[in-house]
Amino acid sequence: MMRDKLCSGDLGDELRSVIDFDEMAGGLNKRRMIQSAVFKELVKLIDPGVKAWQPSKGRNNVIMFVGLQGSGKTTTCTKLAYYYQRKGWKTCLICADTFRAGAFDQLKQNATKARIPFYGSYTEIDPVIIAQEGVEKFKAENFEIIIVDTSGRHKQQDSLFEEMLQVEQATKPDNIIFVMDATIGQACEVQAKAFKDKVDVASVIITKLDGHAKGGGALSAVAATRSPVIFIGTGEHTDDFEPFKVQPFVSKLLGMGDIEGLIDK
Amino acid sequence: MFSMFRNLVGSKTLTPEDLKPVLDKMKDHLIAKNVAADIAVKLCESVSAKLEGKVLGTFGSIASTVKTTLTEACVQILSPRRRVDILRDAMDARQNKRPYVITFCGVNGVGKSTNLAKTQVLRLLRLDSSVGRGLAPWPRGRGFEPQPSTVRAPTGWVDVCFWLVENGLSVLIAACDTFRSGAVEQLRTHVRKLNALHPPSKHQGREMVQLYERGYGKDSAGIAMEAIASARDYRIDVVLVDTAGRMQDNEPLMRALTKLVKVNQPDLVLFVGEALVGNEAVDQLTKFNRALADFSQQQPPRLIDGIILTKFDTIDDKVGAAVSMTYTTGQPIVFVGTGQTYSDLRNLNARAVVTSLLRA
Ligand SMILES: Nc1nc2c(ncn2[C@@H]2O[C@H](COP(=O)(O)OP(=O)(O)OP(=O)(O)O)[C@@H](O)[C@H]2O)c(=O)[nH]1
Ligand SMILES: Nc1nc2c(ncn2[C@@H]2O[C@H](COP(=O)(O)OP(=O)(O)OP(=O)(O)O)[C@@H](O)[C@H]2O)c(=O)[nH]1
Ligand SMILES: [Mg+2]
Ligand SMILES: [Mg+2]
Repeated sequence: MMRDKLCSGDLGDELRSVIDFDEMAGGLNKRRMIQSAVFKELVKLIDPGVKAWQPSKGRNNVIMFVGLQGSGKTTTCTKLAYYYQRKGWKTCLICADTFRAGAFDQLKQNATKARIPFYGSYTEIDPVIIAQEGVEKFKAENFEIIIVDTSGRHKQQDSLFEEMLQVEQATKPDNIIFVMDATIGQACEVQAKAFKDKVDVASVIITKLDGHAKGGGALSAVAATRSPVIFIGTGEHTDDFEPFKVQPFVSKLLGMGDIEGLIDK
Repeated sequence: MFSMFRNLVGSKTLTPEDLKPVLDKMKDHLIAKNVAADIAVKLCESVSAKLEGKVLGTFGSIASTVKTTLTEACVQILSPRRRVDILRDAMDARQNKRPYVITFCGVNGVGKSTNLAKTQVLRLLRLDSSVGRGLAPWPRGRGFEPQPSTVRAPTGWVDVCFWLVENGLSVLIAACDTFRSGAVEQLRTHVRKLNALHPPSKHQGREMVQLYERGYGKDSAGIAMEAIASARDYRIDVVLVDTAGRMQDNEPLMRALTKLVKVNQPDLVLFVGEALVGNEAVDQLTKFNRALADFSQQQPPRLIDGIILTKFDTIDDKVGAAVSMTYTTGQPIVFVGTGQTYSDLRNLNARAVVTSLLRA
């Protein structure tokens, strides 16, 4: 039963096999023990053992967003900027997506609504140039959180992966965030790994957790990028955004209601 | 993967116990190929049912029996019982002096707006191929048939334009995503690019693609209705209705979609789903259909007529979502999206998909 839950949670192959279910299969009275063991195992899996990157007050922190097409990067950029802005940081946004139709308008409208300064261009077609110019401009103006949004791309698109590397080199980000959609299935692991291999991904954000999806693919992404999940997206609005918490996430993944008793044992 | 059946050699009659361990492995294989877990279980059950009680001889016959059974089950799921012939139906509608209306729906970020823009082009390409240029033979790629544009000389677009001058079907895109930032501008950009590919100068001064938009925040069902009326007035042949992405459990948004479909009665409701999606595929489709049925109070309800499977270029051989989606709805995959440019739209090749699915 637990095994089926894991299967229907979009866990990667490798991860599913970490837990040997046959070994654990005991009597019904052992159910709770098994649940507890699985729970602890999953909590361990989603903790890459790396401390999450934190921005430093009073200096420039450049954050670059990367991810597959439509995963929620542009929306999440504004969410993150807004999150820090409300905590008193001086934040801004840069649109380095010159590919997707309407990308700059999207970021511009989001930023305007949230009153966050932004930079982008309707005419420049090279995202590397925009990213570089934007970062220079905002650094000169002493912005603390400088967020760079990039186009969606996937590992099969060599030239776009190369472009991503160039944006990284031009902006020298302090943190690269891989944005992943909670509904993603078995392709997650290889895609996440490919991003990590190309640029220095250091954090993960899972989006669309307001839906039915539990985000099992996140475990694969964490394993592949060896990076902690830092935030989750829970809706389309700018404040539908929360810091990631391991235990509620895993208990939702396992479809377990009350987990308090399990973790303390 | 069929080497796992080797240990069945010598069984006289296959029993459920013989099959269980093997089918479990098969299930895992399908799940690893991104077939939704529930669907993988059901597929294995059907294979098991077909094999139980069979008497097996040599290894060759076991392997081929199992392979054929599974292959046929999958091909059957992927093969449309009903063909969606947009071109023919649009022509019919034109004859009746009314626009042919297609609504695109789906969850957030799957590719509705992009593939709607592509559909326009595919239609032109298909018209083109129907005038005599052959399709390249499959198998090619991982489960889709190349359209003429990918195999012809770069003058392809010019041919299409010439052809259009004679036959010109025109399109109105209705911007009914009035919520997501940049949604209207995204469509406007597509319209501009499409018109640059098919300039009015080549169509007796006619803009082949137009946008109907009323900005943000308005009722999408009303905008769709105005767009359709306008298409009728201006004799535009096809209306493509773009809708906002929505989560299948978001009741207010699902009600709004149902209203749009109910009041406008489109000729075709297409669900756009991405090949990246895992187990959620089943839940998404089930709940979109359920919402369309429950909230419309209409008998029979207008449900999803077909699927556009996008981002097929991102998944290598993890083609399982195609099976999950068709199994869940019983509706055909009308197009497969294989990239971000206008020519990246294909027809599904069921056998090629199944080959990828079963490959180790
Ligand atoms: N329900 C829900 N929708 C979300 C969430 N995050 C993003 N979205 C929606 O997902 C869709 C895609 O989001 P975008 O921000 O455009 O994604 P992107 O990664 O920038 O897309 P590309 O730039 O095209 O690669 C939009 O409809 C967003 O409103 C979330 O947490 N919940
Ligand atoms: N690789 C690839 N990307 C695609 C494909 N189809 C769409 N995309 C990309 O996916 C992203 C989202 O596409 P949209 O058309 O904006 O998706 P949508 O469903 O309209 O999104 P919302 O309206 O925000 O819900 C864009 O970056 C598209 O370029 C495809 O077949 N392959
Ligand atoms: Mg974006
Ligand atoms: Mg859209």
